[in-house]
Amino acid sequence: METVQNLKKRLKSIGNINKITKAMELVAATKMRKSQEIALASRPYAFAVMDLLANVSMLAKKDLPELLVKRKVNKVLFVLVASDKGLAGAFNSSVFKKFESFLKHNKEKYQDEKVFLAVGEKSNHYLLKKGLTVVKKFVQVGDFVTPEQVKPLSDFIVQGYLNNDWDKVIIFSTHFRSALKQESLTREVLPITFESLQETVKEIMPDKGKFAEIAKEQNISFIPNKEKLNEYLIEPSAKKVLEDLAYHLFFMQMYHLILEANASEHSARRMAMKTASDNAKDLGQALNLQYNKVRQGAITSQIIEIIAGSEALN
Amino acid sequence: MKLSIYLLKKILFAGEASLLNCKTSMGEITVLDNHEHFIGVLTAGAIKVIDDKKQEHFFDVKSGFLEVRQGNEVRCIIQ
Repeated sequence: METVQNLKKRLKSIGNINKITKAMELVAATKMRKSQEIALASRPYAFAVMDLLANVSMLAKKDLPELLVKRKVNKVLFVLVASDKGLAGAFNSSVFKKFESFLKHNKEKYQDEKVFLAVGEKSNHYLLKKGLTVVKKFVQVGDFVTPEQVKPLSDFIVQGYLNNDWDKVIIFSTHFRSALKQESLTREVLPITFESLQETVKEIMPDKGKFAEIAKEQNISFIPNKEKLNEYLIEPSAKKVLEDLAYHLFFMQMYHLILEANASEHSARRMAMKTASDNAKDLGQALNLQYNKVRQGAITSQIIEIIAGSEALN
Repeated sequence: MKLSIYLLKKILFAGEASLLNCKTSMGEITVLDNHEHFIGVLTAGAIKVIDDKKQEHFFDVKSGFLEVRQGNEVRCIIQ
């Protein structure tokens, strides 16, 4: 049986762990709420851009900018979006798992040269550990993402695409469904296709909750009215507008992806810390019981000794 | 006209306005009520808005788009 002192020490350290994880949980919860707010604030902008793109691309007809045109794939860029810090439960490993299974399933398809880009320290570590070449890493994003921080990333990817450094960009990241549920997802972001845009729009709109109704009210659709479109006056030209728009759109899509990963990270961490502090609580209770038993046992044996002693004197 | 100005982080302006003045890549333009349908690229400068209460608003623009839609509706997407 363990000694009373030992048990006491263990009880104390578990109590400390409980306090730490509880504090981390609360911090993560606050951060999660804030990053969710940021993600929601960018929605009207996203809808407006998508709407405009749908209109203009109808007008431009075949004059599509390079970002929207599919070309022969020689090189593929994989972007892994993970966190800078650990202690976030399965947040990072689920992204990596998705990445691995994707590579396994598409072995024949992507035999051509692959390039990797890491967002977040953890994904950088993971890629280096696997012995893959990381073309560039974007780390130290901080707790909340700002458009200024995503700009270099989006610029880098677009530049590489335009320079023919890669012909396709696939992103692995986490989709924020709710505070309790996050899914890792795979998305082809470049070249921009209408299918992937529609997917993005669908994901920007939440499944349920108060924002789902707002999306319905705004009545977002991708079928512009052809007759009305001809009346538009476009300056300087549809192609130029579309070029700029495609660039903005890609930036927005990246921004949204990172935002969502950020919100997911915080909620994953909150959940992980919640389980940890729950565990610590259970463990503390069990230990406390054991401690009481041992203490009681010691007292009983002492009493027995005293009684036995006095009996022997009689 | 119904005017909305969207910034990535928030909505800068949403509501009735009587005048919108901004710089596009083809020059400075002013949009009044019932303007022709129009799509243009905004360049760096300031947007001036006069709302229905005759109040002036100014917004800073780096780049963006202007769209005059059917139904007397104007949208600006700016950065």
